[in-house]
Amino acid sequence: MPGTRPARWVAAVPMAALAVATVYPLVFTTNVAMKTRREYVLDRFSPADSFSLDNVVRAWTSVGMSRYFLNSVVVVACSVALLLLFGSMAGFALGRLRFRGSSALFLGILAALFVPFQVIMVPLARTMADTGLIDTYPGLVLAYVAQFLPFTIFLLTSYYATVPAEIVDAARIDGNSVYGVYWRIMLPIGAPALLSVGVLNALFCWNDVLISLLMMPSAEHRTLMIGVTSLRGQYSDDIPTFAAGVLIAAVPVLVVYLFLQRQIADGVTAGSTKG
Amino acid sequence: MAAPTLSPARPAPAGPARPRRSGSRAERLAPLALVAPAVLIIAGLRLWPLVLGVNFSFTGDGDRDGVMVGLDNYATLFADPLFRTALRNVGLLVLLLPVAVAIPGLLATLIYLRVPGHRLYRGVYFFPAVLSPVIVGAIFTLLLAFDGPLNGFLGGLGLGPVDWLGDPDVAFFVVVAVHVWATFGMALVVFLAGFATLDQSLLDAAKTDGASFPQTVRHVIVPSLTRTIQFVFVTTMIGMLTSMFGLLYVMTSGGPEGSTYLPEYYIWIQQGRLNQPALASAASTALFLIMLVVGLAQIAILRRAAGKED
Repeated sequence: MPGTRPARWVAAVPMAALAVATVYPLVFTTNVAMKTRREYVLDRFSPADSFSLDNVVRAWTSVGMSRYFLNSVVVVACSVALLLLFGSMAGFALGRLRFRGSSALFLGILAALFVPFQVIMVPLARTMADTGLIDTYPGLVLAYVAQFLPFTIFLLTSYYATVPAEIVDAARIDGNSVYGVYWRIMLPIGAPALLSVGVLNALFCWNDVLISLLMMPSAEHRTLMIGVTSLRGQYSDDIPTFAAGVLIAAVPVLVVYLFLQRQIADGVTAGSTKG
Repeated sequence: MAAPTLSPARPAPAGPARPRRSGSRAERLAPLALVAPAVLIIAGLRLWPLVLGVNFSFTGDGDRDGVMVGLDNYATLFADPLFRTALRNVGLLVLLLPVAVAIPGLLATLIYLRVPGHRLYRGVYFFPAVLSPVIVGAIFTLLLAFDGPLNGFLGGLGLGPVDWLGDPDVAFFVVVAVHVWATFGMALVVFLAGFATLDQSLLDAAKTDGASFPQTVRHVIVPSLTRTIQFVFVTTMIGMLTSMFGLLYVMTSGGPEGSTYLPEYYIWIQQGRLNQPALASAASTALFLIMLVVGLAQIAILRRAAGKED
């Protein structure tokens, strides 16, 4: 057992090295984004001469990164709102109300979890094209909702199943309809689970490449992640500006991570220990 | 980051429905109304496309659009060197899977045993898992460029430059390594959640009996965490098969010489670039079957291993 002190310290060395290897690529990229092209060509490692946001400003203004950023924010906000709404409605009904056939329905939704997007993307693209939803924001939002709803329902059903039945009964006796119970009691009571699953969904949608690539062919509809890849082609000989574009896409995620790490981890681990 | 796929072990809490007052018709239909939007979306945009896609894979492309062509697409698919490379790469992923599970497992064990700095490590290791593959791929494209920093660093040590992303024998392993770098934190967090359920008295007993670290891992930790390990195996494999697209798209575009193709990239190229949706559907169906087989085989193998341990 590495219960002894020296053994623990021996293990700590490679772990610290790994921690450095985990953080370094991002530090490197940040440093590059602060450099001028000349500085970068001369020396990639040295700290930037000055803390300059020129590259960030150039990336933001020149190739539509601000537009892509806004596209992503709007699409992610709408997708997460709908995911939480539909997910909590279904989670409340399946986890707390229960009705004839609710177990079968839950299993059907679980089955959808095991159908990866790659497997359905071709027919989905055709359906979206047939209905005129391809290359539209509602189309992309709908694709995200469809993709992440099974996972959302899974988590929220487990959560609402732990809410005591007495709470529902008491609210019903007070004269609330089922919808009233949902809206006035279940939504507020579900806040911690909704926050956790909401943050995760926001990350999934923000980080997505494939769905966005498939759904949004026109350049002005691009989301930020696709925008970053197009920046690469545009600035293949200006690495610092490209690195600045990468930072623009990564910083919001970093901020969310710093504040909500525990909620993210809760969502990721749900389902791994139960059952 | 892909949707973590969850274990199927928890169906809606079973048991008879609670007796309910017989309300009005609208009240009785309320639960159905609440699930209706979700059911419609999932049935229409997740499950129905699966049926459509399988059906679609038996029709033709181009001139033969909509015509039933039997197994022609599958014949084309398995004759295509790019798809065969993609399958070979899936095989490599299966072989590399134990490594991708062992790394976070070992690290989680050490964090659980409170190696100095363990509080910090968890937060640091988990971070790349929330970054988009596009961002990770872009960063590593810079680091791994032929005239980039890593080769510069190796050159300083007197080691020759390696064409990390340009050498067909090396590129795929590099992309897998980057994927593991980016996602091991996810499995680590899952392992730590499993450790939280571990019976501390067993560990204390092992310590009292003077068990070595490897013995403790083998006889105490692994048997207690069977379920978690199984979960990590399955989710890691699914992650490898379905969330490396972003890295491939940014880092290699399937090259050099098609050596980094995976089925998901093949599907995208056929559908998005070459406009051969029926062939892409055949590849999708093949991918789905691969995932089913690999997933079921893993569960069976792990079950048997767990049975031996008990």
